[in-house]
Amino acid sequence: MNVAKRTFDAVIVGAGGAGLRAALQLSEAGLKTAVLTKVFPTRSHTVAAQGGVAASLGNSTEDNWHWHMYDTVKGSDWLGDQDAIEFMCKKANEVVIELEHYGMPFDRTDNGKIYQRPFGGHSMNYGQAPVMRSCAAADRTGHAMLHALYQRNVRANTQFFVEWMALDLIRDADGDVLGVTAMEMETGEVSIFHAKATIFATGGAGRIYYSSTNAFINTGDGVGMAARAGIPLEDMEFWQFHPTGVAGAGVLITEGVRGEGGILRNAQGERFMERYAPNLKDLASRDVVSRAMTTEINEGRGCGPDKDHVLLDITHLAPDTIMKRLPGIREIAIQFAGVDPIKAPIPVVPTCHYQMGGIPTNYKGQVVVPKDGNPNSPVAGFYAAGECACASVHGANRLGTNSLLDLLVFGKSAGETVVEDFQSGQLKLKPLPADAADVSLARLARLDGQTNGESVFDVGLEMRRTMQKHAGVFRFDNLLKEGVQKIGEVAERAKRTQIADKSKVWNVARMEALELDNLIEVARATMVSAEARKESRGAHVRDDAPDTAENPNGRDDANWLKHTLWYSEGNRLDYKPVNLKPLSDDVEPIALAKRTY
Amino acid sequence: MSRRLKISIFRHNPRDPRSVPRLVDYELDERPGMTLFIALNAIRDTQAPDLNFDFVCRAGVCGACAMVIDGRPGLACRTLTSTLPAAFSLYPLPVFRLVADLSVDTGSWMRELAERLQTWVHLDAEPDLDRLEARMEPALAEAVYELDRCIECGCCIAACATAQMREGFVGAVGLVKIARFRLDSADTRDDADFYELVGNDEGIFGCMSLLACNDLCPKELPLQTQLAWLRRKMAGQGVRWLRRG
Ligand code: SF4
Ligand code: SF4
Ligand code: FES
Repeated sequence: MNVAKRTFDAVIVGAGGAGLRAALQLSEAGLKTAVLTKVFPTRSHTVAAQGGVAASLGNSTEDNWHWHMYDTVKGSDWLGDQDAIEFMCKKANEVVIELEHYGMPFDRTDNGKIYQRPFGGHSMNYGQAPVMRSCAAADRTGHAMLHALYQRNVRANTQFFVEWMALDLIRDADGDVLGVTAMEMETGEVSIFHAKATIFATGGAGRIYYSSTNAFINTGDGVGMAARAGIPLEDMEFWQFHPTGVAGAGVLITEGVRGEGGILRNAQGERFMERYAPNLKDLASRDVVSRAMTTEINEGRGCGPDKDHVLLDITHLAPDTIMKRLPGIREIAIQFAGVDPIKAPIPVVPTCHYQMGGIPTNYKGQVVVPKDGNPNSPVAGFYAAGECACASVHGANRLGTNSLLDLLVFGKSAGETVVEDFQSGQLKLKPLPADAADVSLARLARLDGQTNGESVFDVGLEMRRTMQKHAGVFRFDNLLKEGVQKIGEVAERAKRTQIADKSKVWNVARMEALELDNLIEVARATMVSAEARKESRGAHVRDDAPDTAENPNGRDDANWLKHTLWYSEGNRLDYKPVNLKPLSDDVEPIALAKRTY
Repeated sequence: MSRRLKISIFRHNPRDPRSVPRLVDYELDERPGMTLFIALNAIRDTQAPDLNFDFVCRAGVCGACAMVIDGRPGLACRTLTSTLPAAFSLYPLPVFRLVADLSVDTGSWMRELAERLQTWVHLDAEPDLDRLEARMEPALAEAVYELDRCIECGCCIAACATAQMREGFVGAVGLVKIARFRLDSADTRDDADFYELVGNDEGIFGCMSLLACNDLCPKELPLQTQLAWLRRKMAGQGVRWLRRG
């Protein structure tokens, strides 16, 4: 096959919030940049974010970045790196105000400032009471943010390659990253994008689970590509199950609903969160609420004929408030649950929502791997930001509204780092190895030549069912052990996928087969990392690691206060220390404590 | 009793020299709460693996899935099959370039529009990030937000007689964007600037006010009021323009 070569200063894969924010930095600095994206930028999954973006502006209640940092460290169950968390919380006001200047239509308070609402896990004065920290554009914050960033990119004349799917990362003998191979979906042609810097902003891989709020495009492409190219994946056992996905449909209902006063009730009509989180109640951290809901359902207090969900009740709110602050939610409830939330509660279940782990990076957005005794040695030419990256600010559990903040702060930071490295002359266009496209071409040839193979649909379904059953909201030792074996079998089957349609143009089946390769890497990483971590922490809660005096909440800091690193080759695990030291002297390290709400 | 649906789908792949445009019928059993998103995926998984269509968010916010459903442009992910007859057709949106089957390239069209109408906030200077946010009246912020809800789905263009006749007509989506930035107190452009952009037949004066767009916008943007308002403002601006000579 003929492989065209294109050369750029930088190539960015993904045009959601993180990709667009990074692209803006590069375009405005005059770097020749290519942004590859499977879908038109404003269709990216960031568009679905509803609730808001965290910043301690203190517009509605007193607030400061120290409190935000404390909440984030605590939310992460102390697995987040405190240097990256300090960086993010300090930068929050700047990136939000910047966005406001780019035209993002935030809700306003009566005196014209950005309106802020309470959100799960965010508190004032180190956990004492809910704080109003989430800046929102009604309940369509992601949509407004994505469009504002896109508009600014049009102004900066950013060049997008729309409906291009990146296939594989190109590394040379030194391990440096030289760009990616990519396929134009319309023609099926493969090209090499050769660049001095490569930024991954490919989002998460929530589609490894059967029940997910994620869009179909969220197939972990960047994470899979990195893993295949020998980059370890960090903390992949930690997945967030959002408490309120619409039962049956998976579509998300923002936590902002509970921020505005929504209440979760079981079949007896009881406000059960009062028992699980006496202080923050329905606004406790997401993992806590999801597990409480699952416990209610498992103990027979679920609602509906199958007792398989609980109810989110806002019927006590004024219809005006619902119409003004939560119009999109009302639309979704009517459409996907068949209920008008003004009159009746919405059936909800915990649904896979967010990938806390990912490609290991530092707070500058550089991808880092263990090398020569340094656990965090930067890979030359390689950067990542947003959900695909693990900085790590979310640790074992992410707080709501910290994801939009993450993609703004680290999208910008990765962009700034690239611009600096570029302007200082540190970034070089290294010569392409002769075999730069061979891996991708071999994958495509294998797919085209496969006979007696497996159906992509069947293998994908088996993967999603296995993940859902063996690595869900609660985890069981025996199920995890079985899961490791099962997902290994699924991965073997995925090597033999076959497609009926071999045409080159707009071949949907081929793209799905290539996406499955990426999902499989993520699924393996998740299962193997989860099986190995013999403690409960944040979103990872095991039956054999219960709450004891010695290990509060089942957390075992003596043995497990460390980041997992999973290598695809050989299914191998390694670990690296958590950074408990903040970036500056402005703040003391947040000391380890039991996590209660 | 659940219905047996018969969906006639437009099939054509312009990139494939052997492909001819045709309608192909697919049958499947209707399920409670079935949306076109569910139905089309079921057809692709079991009957037509090469069927092209676009869904991203499946929740009515990304604008990827607009198509002509039983004769009317709409969002497929938000359409329940129970609101349609047992036999109905699906066509790609007109006006936009056909990619394949039900998939059209709204993206290039929207990008071209964004460049032509300069749909971003024009500031005097680069934002000063050490300063606080620029204040905005809550009522104004709400009005801007209301128009910012456009998801660039293209339904208003597909429904618009002018857009079908006159290539280059910016349509309701273009005009509502102008209205949005005109409202925004942060945008430094004045009516003379906006007149330059849409004070012509490809802009507000090309609109025939038949309001198909208003009836079909899936986000229920107030297109009727906005078009009327903009026409008045731009006509006034045009008069000033002439006087000034
Ligand atoms: S104005 Fe309405 S119909 Fe037109 S593109 Fe926007 S959302 Fe779609
Ligand atoms: S009112 Fe104007 S923009 Fe709307 S459909 Fe008619 S001609 Fe098109
Ligand atoms: S899939 Fe996003 S609007 Fe229909």
